[in-house]
Amino acid sequence: MSKEAKMKDKVHIKPFNIINGILFVIVCLIILVPIWKVLVDSLDLRTAYGMKLIPEKFGFDGYISVFTNKTLYRPLIVSLLTTVAGTFLGLTISTLGAYVLIQWEMPGRNFFANFLLFTMIFSGGMIPTYLVMKSLHLTNSLLGVILLPALSVYNLVLMRNFFEGIPQSLFEAATLDGCTPMATFFRVVLPLSKAALASIGLMFAVSYWNDYTNYKLYITNDQLYNFQMKLRSIVLGSDLPSANGGATENTVRNAAVITAILPFMILYPFLQKYFVKGVNIGAVKE
Amino acid sequence: MLKRRMLALAATAAMVATSVPMVAMADEEVEKPEKITIMVDGTVFTQANGRAEFEARWEELTGIDLEIIQPDHDAYYDVVGQTMAGGDWPDVIILSSTYYAGYAAEGVLWDMSEAYENSSLMERIEDQSVIDGLRMDGALYGISPTRGNGCVTYVKKAWLDNCGLEAPTNYEEYLNMLNAFTTGDPDGNGVDGDTYAVSAAGLIGGEAPYVNYLPEFYQDAYPSFYKNEEGVWVDGFTEDAMKEALQRLQDAYEAGYIDKESLTNGTKDCRNKFYEDKFGVFTYWAGTWATNLKTNLEANEVDSELIALPAIEETGAYFERVAPTWCITEGCENPEGVFKYFIETMLDGGDMQFLWTYGVEGVHWSTAAEEVLGVTYEEGEFHMLENLETEGTLYTKAHIDPMLAVAPLDYDPKADAIPEESRISTEVFNSTKKQAQLVVSTDEMSMLNGDLTTLKNEIVALVVTNGMTVEEAYEKFEADGGAAWSQEIVDSLNAK
Amino acid sequence: MKKKNVNNSVAVRKVPLSARIYKYRWFYLMFLPVLIFGILFYYMPMLGVLLSFTKYNGIKDPTFVGMDNFERMFSMPKFWEAFWNTLELSIIKLLLNTGMAVILSLLLNEIINLKLKKLAQTIIYLPHFMSWVVTASVWGMILSPTSEGLVNTFLISIGVLEKGSEVYFLGSVKWWRFAYYVINIWKDTGWGTIIFMATLSGINPELYEAAAIDGAGRWKKMRYVTFPALLNTIITVLILNLAKVMNLFESVFVLQNDAVVSTAQVLQTYIYAQTFNGSGIPNYGYSTAVGLFRSLVGCALVLVCNYLSKKVREGRGIV
Repeated sequence: MSKEAKMKDKVHIKPFNIINGILFVIVCLIILVPIWKVLVDSLDLRTAYGMKLIPEKFGFDGYISVFTNKTLYRPLIVSLLTTVAGTFLGLTISTLGAYVLIQWEMPGRNFFANFLLFTMIFSGGMIPTYLVMKSLHLTNSLLGVILLPALSVYNLVLMRNFFEGIPQSLFEAATLDGCTPMATFFRVVLPLSKAALASIGLMFAVSYWNDYTNYKLYITNDQLYNFQMKLRSIVLGSDLPSANGGATENTVRNAAVITAILPFMILYPFLQKYFVKGVNIGAVKE
Repeated sequence: MLKRRMLALAATAAMVATSVPMVAMADEEVEKPEKITIMVDGTVFTQANGRAEFEARWEELTGIDLEIIQPDHDAYYDVVGQTMAGGDWPDVIILSSTYYAGYAAEGVLWDMSEAYENSSLMERIEDQSVIDGLRMDGALYGISPTRGNGCVTYVKKAWLDNCGLEAPTNYEEYLNMLNAFTTGDPDGNGVDGDTYAVSAAGLIGGEAPYVNYLPEFYQDAYPSFYKNEEGVWVDGFTEDAMKEALQRLQDAYEAGYIDKESLTNGTKDCRNKFYEDKFGVFTYWAGTWATNLKTNLEANEVDSELIALPAIEETGAYFERVAPTWCITEGCENPEGVFKYFIETMLDGGDMQFLWTYGVEGVHWSTAAEEVLGVTYEEGEFHMLENLETEGTLYTKAHIDPMLAVAPLDYDPKADAIPEESRISTEVFNSTKKQAQLVVSTDEMSMLNGDLTTLKNEIVALVVTNGMTVEEAYEKFEADGGAAWSQEIVDSLNAK
Repeated sequence: MKKKNVNNSVAVRKVPLSARIYKYRWFYLMFLPVLIFGILFYYMPMLGVLLSFTKYNGIKDPTFVGMDNFERMFSMPKFWEAFWNTLELSIIKLLLNTGMAVILSLLLNEIINLKLKKLAQTIIYLPHFMSWVVTASVWGMILSPTSEGLVNTFLISIGVLEKGSEVYFLGSVKWWRFAYYVINIWKDTGWGTIIFMATLSGINPELYEAAAIDGAGRWKKMRYVTFPALLNTIITVLILNLAKVMNLFESVFVLQNDAVVSTAQVLQTYIYAQTFNGSGIPNYGYSTAVGLFRSLVGCALVLVCNYLSKKVREGRGIV
């Protein structure tokens, strides 16, 4: 939105903005209540069942025991590595696929579209997928957990949806300038799709970061466990008939939940500019 | 594989005639394996807890190469399932009772009864009922190095004192106590009626023995299949005892004795509420957990003295669940060798059993003069070390819980050091316990029992929390097909 | 599924197929990775659907049983109960979540204070990062029928409920679904806005300026500029999610309990209960049969909606 338009709005519809602002404050508060509960419990050395607004017995012990836990360092590296590699791979495949799918006149384009759509609907199930992973030697390998989720048809189609919004004239102009399809892809499509890359990249990153299912099924070597696997064992704790019970199991557990959100809180501000401002297609056109 | 079975059969036949020389012969025949692959859940040390050292020590003691496959504890049976389907079977595998029965019936597991009878374990295991509980039609497919353990009812002593009550011995006294805990002021905060008496994670358990969280209400009722005294399989859910139990549960729930949220509670919720002093009667695992409950109550500044209640008159005995078992698969090339060098040594009373019980010196335990978590030990004094994964806590055991082991250690340094409350709760449990039964699997069972159990659980929940009468409940059971499924399964079990 | 572009297609049809393929040769190369991933990780495992015609527990080789699994499935009243529950729960959930996400995005887009906007965006994404297990335990506490329950305490304090008649939201057949939808909206609405916000940020500002010149106020701009721009994305998101409608599992699994089976059991939890409560060893044949049935229903839903979408949007499907 340009500055003039914004200023005009400010003058014209002030009550709306106030109401809208208040509404969001309320929405945010409602959303925060359950998270606040976890946060308070993570800082409370007393085990609490009920809802409290402030910790009764304040202390950082929960976080200290999460962060000084050396066994979490390696999984953290595994998580970072697979998230970065997976997001990159996922975006590469999604953008390439989406770029091909907007070539409406390309022979076989509809076949490709249906090829993808079909995978969203039918799946073979746990055992057949495992057998394929095993025959490809992708079990107990980080390559496996990176490759398996890299083709996300859902994300690919969303990406295609964004690409579709790029004015046709830009492609024609690029072709006239002698750009090969690859060059057009890098010089026109990608620069114009920063918001899409940021949002879909974020979706990939979060799903790689939060991946638990693939690890539990395909990784039995705990040297290759990721952060979520470790956190999960802390969160769920052990419910065995005779367990090594810690005195503050609840505090540590809640601290672990908050810790899992932290990387996102750190990463998000860097991406946010793409969401807030977006890409001004008109400006690029000049 | 078939050939080996034939050999085993022939050997069994020969045994009948001359059993003593066979032992010696069997010993000579057994070839020492070079490598053993085992698949285990989280009850064996994980990587973060010094599994590598454990493995190295095991290899040092036996001279055999050990490979440990340890999937994530929560996904263990998913991974077991796909590994079996994938064809690369491990030599040895840990299985819970349900999977033990299922896989045994499918012919996955090696019948170790003969090897067992020829082994030293026969004499070393004091309570043969644990092993006998694992036999299926006489065959034995696995060994549990520990008893299964079960739940006892803990009552907060302070609550009893505040209400001026003694520990109950029968259901009438028990109800009386629940009433005082619910309507009176057992926590002494000056407010009457802001507490309730009992809480549980679910009104009915998810696995055998099902009734272990609320035994006082279920009493002699058992909601699933069991072999009765005449040796006939029946479905306890269809018996009058179950109907009476449902009525007792409903009455107690309506009177407010039972936590209103028992349906949606997880075990963790229950524990937290217990630590928060919201309720006073909690049926939970005997043994180590008695100490865990105590320390958590202390951390919460709540009076931590708990009485482990002997089973009340009407209940008679607490259930002991069937322990997880170590089994040898049919994929193992030298099962006799693996039995001798892996299973048998686990309970040898010596170094190996010590390793399985307490772990590795310098990693899990030590006798050096040092300070661990604020306690100073002298040179030569045995003590456990700090948990590598969860700092601030001590290791208590390796795989075998010494309090539950079926065979004794020759030298147990911690025999006297078991915390009193753990010891007492184990004693109380042991004095009144009965072994839960292993249920054999049939085709009908695997076809129908899923739907049947879901229906049973729904009926229990509706009666207790939603006010459905017991008569209506059993009409629903009939109408939804439960009665027919139940009969079909019973018939198939009895036809076996 | 074809974009009708009259000018181009007339011109293209005159060119022979081989020449057209040659023209797009680079694009085929670019699609190669997608094809490889699709074949390896989706199509190869898909051969597994053949298991639905067998009896298979992962140990002995599968034995062919024809339509037995399907016959058994269709004859179980609990199966149909779970089937209808799945459809109802997940479709209503999808509509509610998407609707709320669109409304939230539109309002978010209107916030002028950038700081508030950034803060609001960060906060509304947070619930997505809590696992379902944790979500269930926290909400269980908020909806608790005891004095800990925030909602019940609030309702009592404003006089809607009397003390002693607290509502057991998660334990009553009457209230469970309501609670389920609320929790889902809480957890996923914020995250759902990401995709709409990205779309909104791509709208050409000239359109707003033109609308402003025409004298359009905020509502009119929202109605005639913003919303149409979003519509394409809304339809895409809805249809893509329809394909996944039958996969509903974790959110239901962690929130359901024995008392609400009749309203809360969905196909995936039904299969889980079958295996877990049955003999322990899964019958992969049966669960694959249920899976195949789920896929067929999902397929039908997508085809119908894609057809409707083509009608509404002048010939464009979603893919």
